[in-house]
Amino acid sequence: MTSAIDALRAEFGPNIATLAGALAAGDERLFLSELDALVHRRERTLFSELRKLTGTLQSALDRFSVDSRLVDLAEKEVPDARQRLDHVLKLTDEAAHRTMDLVEQSGPLAERTAREAGEIAELWRKFRARKIQVDEFRSMIDRLDLFLESSREDMDKVRGNLSEVLMAQGYQDLSGQIIRGVMKLVLELETALVDLVRLSRTGPNAAPAPVSDGMHRGFGPTVPGIDNGPAVSGQQDVDALLLGLGM
Amino acid sequence: MGLRSLVMCEEDDVSKDMKFLVVDDFSTMRRIIKNLLNDLGYANVTEADDGQTALPLLQAGGFDFLVTDWNMPGMPGLDLLKAVRADPKLAKMPVLMLTAEAKREQIIEAAQAGVNGYVIKPFTAVTLKEKIDKILEQRATAA
Repeated sequence: MTSAIDALRAEFGPNIATLAGALAAGDERLFLSELDALVHRRERTLFSELRKLTGTLQSALDRFSVDSRLVDLAEKEVPDARQRLDHVLKLTDEAAHRTMDLVEQSGPLAERTAREAGEIAELWRKFRARKIQVDEFRSMIDRLDLFLESSREDMDKVRGNLSEVLMAQGYQDLSGQIIRGVMKLVLELETALVDLVRLSRTGPNAAPAPVSDGMHRGFGPTVPGIDNGPAVSGQQDVDALLLGLGM
Repeated sequence: MGLRSLVMCEEDDVSKDMKFLVVDDFSTMRRIIKNLLNDLGYANVTEADDGQTALPLLQAGGFDFLVTDWNMPGMPGLDLLKAVRADPKLAKMPVLMLTAEAKREQIIEAAQAGVNGYVIKPFTAVTLKEKIDKILEQRATAA
């Protein structure tokens, strides 16, 4: 407080002394010119303060545009990204289990075929060596009949399972697309943070928010719980939509 | 019943000699589609990883059927479809879109750009077969 009044005294003291002197001496011209100088000086400080204030306001506005993008990222897109990654986890989990289920189903079928073939081959060798009994021969023929039928069925099933194992690998494409989307978000977040740091150091020139071109480039797979606008729920929906369009 | 037995029930026809181009940026998906096509009896399958690599291959000639993804770096599938339709030599090529893009407006846009079929990922082997058969049938009756 004392120092502030001291500063004022130092700044305005001489003017006021001159003013008082001019008044006492009845020097009208000196009084008026001194008064003008005083008012002018006061205005100058006021303007410089105003300029400073405008500058602060400007950078606050710039920061606000970066801030609002950051808020948007933090409030909407980061939770969305978490949900997307959760979905990736689910996709990979399902694909791994589906694959292992199919492998577990196929193993015993292949094993059964191999075992039965081995046993029949044993009888077959005896037959070739002309060491087989008549009843053994009859049993071999029956088993051979059964074996040809069951191995065809089993191997058909194994072949089908292999096709499904192949299909299950489609998760890599779908989850890969989702992960790429999240990587893009991380990059954007990084850019926004770097902008914020730069602004707090120097001031203006905020980066513009990126423009989405999803309609042209594609949005990636649908993630449950994340709404990107009206989407079809599956192939049947697609077929119905296309049928409606006359396809 | 496996896909192969599905195929074996049918008599082979000339369409099995057709040459396919499969365009997808994920090599796993390309392998899946290629394997499925092989299972369906189409042995002649070439791969490309986006529209930019696919288009010169198509323009060089020899392909009878295009299967393409939508969302790819470089040239997306929609642009590839438009480029194919705009090229007088390729304009009539059957194009099947095989993609995870599921927005109604996207499907409409693809239809307007002249796609012949739209299969959404994840898909089944049976769906793929159905759509290819349908496209070939329509072409056979149109011809």
